[in-house]
Amino acid sequence: MDRIYCVIPERCIACGKCELACAFAHGSEGQPAATRIHIHRRGPDLGTPVVCLQCDDPSCLAACPVGALTWNARTAAIEVSRETCIRCRMCVAACPFGNMTWDDSRHEVAKCDLCGGDPRCVPFCPTKALDYVPADRAAILPDAAVPGAQR
Amino acid sequence: MPTLTIDGRTVHADHGTFLLAACRKAGIEVPTLCEHPAVEPYGGCRLCVVDVTRPEWDGWSKMVVACLFPVEDGIVVDTRSERVMETRKVVLDLLLARCPETPLIRDLAAAHGIVATSFVRNPVPTDCILCGLCTRVCDTMGMSAISSVDRGAGREIAPPFRAPPPACVGCLACAEICPTGFIQFESGTRKRRIWEKDFDMLRCPRCGRSHITAAQADFFAGRGGVPRSYFEICDHCKRADLAATATRLAGEPATPARQG
Repeated sequence: MDRIYCVIPERCIACGKCELACAFAHGSEGQPAATRIHIHRRGPDLGTPVVCLQCDDPSCLAACPVGALTWNARTAAIEVSRETCIRCRMCVAACPFGNMTWDDSRHEVAKCDLCGGDPRCVPFCPTKALDYVPADRAAILPDAAVPGAQR
Repeated sequence: MPTLTIDGRTVHADHGTFLLAACRKAGIEVPTLCEHPAVEPYGGCRLCVVDVTRPEWDGWSKMVVACLFPVEDGIVVDTRSERVMETRKVVLDLLLARCPETPLIRDLAAAHGIVATSFVRNPVPTDCILCGLCTRVCDTMGMSAISSVDRGAGREIAPPFRAPPPACVGCLACAEICPTGFIQFESGTRKRRIWEKDFDMLRCPRCGRSHITAAQADFFAGRGGVPRSYFEICDHCKRADLAATATRLAGEPATPARQG
């Protein structure tokens, strides 16, 4: 884990490009509803991107009865195995932040997996509200610039 | 690390795994209907039969189900011997007699060269292939609300006494895992019905959305040691809460970087 996914909410202009990029990257043919990153819109040009925090002690992983959720040591993302998942939706209920979603059209749970170490939303963010930065840089950032940045 | 030979290829299998996993590791496809990574192996469908022998067995071999046979060092496996293919054909022939209209079985049988069953066709065609995935996943969830009942031709999957199962919480895992879509259910925002049992959905007190049943919430709460209210807020509202927290922590929002 040499990079950290960083969200800087005050830079978000709610353009929705991350949502589209996410939906495309995860094979939904660009239906924005299938995104795993959600912009909570506060105004026409103001939003807060909400995405999985990849918790250190994840409730979703603890709740899964079959071990379909695993921690990827390389990216530090928690990933869902589609093959193992039994669609009981316990993780959806367990996530305290609502970042585990149920995709009714594809009939599976969906969460941010950091695209396996290359988050597709990041290059599409025009204001760098989303960034995937080296861990040592992210560790300094929250000090002054971004209180409340995710991880 | 046990080393075995499968269809002439040398495979290094992991300790404590079964032959089916070793076959897949070697890139050899073995047909199966009752295997699922989420549940314990069962050996119910008998489609994954393979021939196992050892050089010192003087040409003798035994047929085993790959999903339940632990890997051993030095065994020689044939996944497509004449005897194996013949056995798979009989299994599929029997399954086709039981489930003559099930696309999954028809396709698999056709792939093995069986277009119509040679046995007496089931007068009451069913889509249940008795793979046991539903009962095993129910066991895994911790409910064990359904099981296989009766024997022989009358064997079926049902709740106790064929009545609405008291242990069921309506998680739908059985219906979701069913490979043929045999297990029927109805699910809406307010109600869910499966195994002839009705459930109230747990609705978000703020927006009215629902994902799980109230019975599921009670069960999860008991298992997780958290109050039932933990599950009441839906994921949309929880995300809104998280966004509000992030905004509050970030202080007053800065002027948007882009105009127009």
